[in-house]
Amino acid sequence: MNTSTFVDGRGWLYRFDPRAKILLMILLCVFFFLPITLVGLAVSVLLVIAVGWHNTGTRNMVSVLKSITPMLLFMLLFAPFNVRGGEVLLSIGSVTIITVEGAAQALRLACRFIGITYVCTLLFATTVMGELMLALRFWRLPYKAALVVTLSFSSIPFIAESFSQIGESHSLREAADEEKKNYIQRLKDLLPTLTSVLVVALRSIPNLAMSLEMRGLGRSETRSSYRSLDSYTHLFTDFVISITIVTVLWLIFKA
Amino acid sequence: MQQNRNALKLAVTAVLTAVVVVFTMIIRIPTAKGYLNLCDVAICFIAFTFGPASSFIAAALGTALADLISGYAQWAPISFAVHGLEGLLIALIVRSKGDHEASFLRKIIAGIVCMATVSLGYFALSALFISTAAVAAAEIPGNLVQSAVGFILGLAVSSAVKRAYPPVSALSW
Repeated sequence: MNTSTFVDGRGWLYRFDPRAKILLMILLCVFFFLPITLVGLAVSVLLVIAVGWHNTGTRNMVSVLKSITPMLLFMLLFAPFNVRGGEVLLSIGSVTIITVEGAAQALRLACRFIGITYVCTLLFATTVMGELMLALRFWRLPYKAALVVTLSFSSIPFIAESFSQIGESHSLREAADEEKKNYIQRLKDLLPTLTSVLVVALRSIPNLAMSLEMRGLGRSETRSSYRSLDSYTHLFTDFVISITIVTVLWLIFKA
Repeated sequence: MQQNRNALKLAVTAVLTAVVVVFTMIIRIPTAKGYLNLCDVAICFIAFTFGPASSFIAAALGTALADLISGYAQWAPISFAVHGLEGLLIALIVRSKGDHEASFLRKIIAGIVCMATVSLGYFALSALFISTAAVAAAEIPGNLVQSAVGFILGLAVSSAVKRAYPPVSALSW
């Protein structure tokens, strides 16, 4: 199981301070909900996609858009039917199918959805997890919360590996053909695997707790860290850029 | 002693969060808006076996992290709120003093609350922030099935784990 969301690249977003990047992400997500013109929203989303494409490459852009395509299609198919009032765009006899307002509403929702998805994905694609944690610490994420997240990330591969190994072991003991089983039987068969995986995971807790104690968890003096955000020397400038980008977009495209 | 307890609490929360992430990611059935998964099995197991605090943190953080890792970052805040609340409510309902197990009635109520929280929570927050009520309503049946199956499996797994690994009772907080 791959838990890394980082995509290797050299664009300017990679050099942008992670602390400012978090601020920019939040501001852009808020911006997508502000009363702006539909054209403005579409242009802003296209700009975000263009920045993402320039920084993380075509493959990443395609994979992000591909992952949200079903939802987008669903949205574009059904959202227009919600708005019944306004100028009729399509009708069968006396029954109104789609109105101009309905189509505009569907497009707005789709643009907003793509924008939020892409902005969030870009943050995680252009920032390594260690730096993201430090940036969140800067934004007052408690130390213990950050520690829980990093410990979880280190436990995920072990539990995932145990899951597949135990699952394979149990399936080898199954006599019946997997394809002939119904859903209830398959769920029943899943129980021993889930139980074994959970026992394996729970058994690792005492050791993890002991190693945390050994490493001095709870000491009054702060711990040293290999990682730091000192290499990002333009924090103030990046903050100003983040706020300026969103303010300019808002001033240009406000409804 | 307090320090030891803190280390144990952190370790329990971290491992349970990882369990929720793995259960969410390892079996996925794609749907129109995202995917159905086993996260409710893990959340219900934690709620039945551990306390409300660990259930809330592990469920909220685990599902949000799984969404971030899977490329569904826009769902992370919604999953955080909905599944966090789900874990907290189930744990509060089935919470009992001493070694007594929760009554059958409490389990039934917990199951209904689990299904209602997941389906209505996703419906309300998705309609409010991501799509419209009609689009969000289309996911209700899938969420109901996922949470119902998750609840039943979680309950079964919880009693099986308690029998297979009795020290688990010392880990709850």
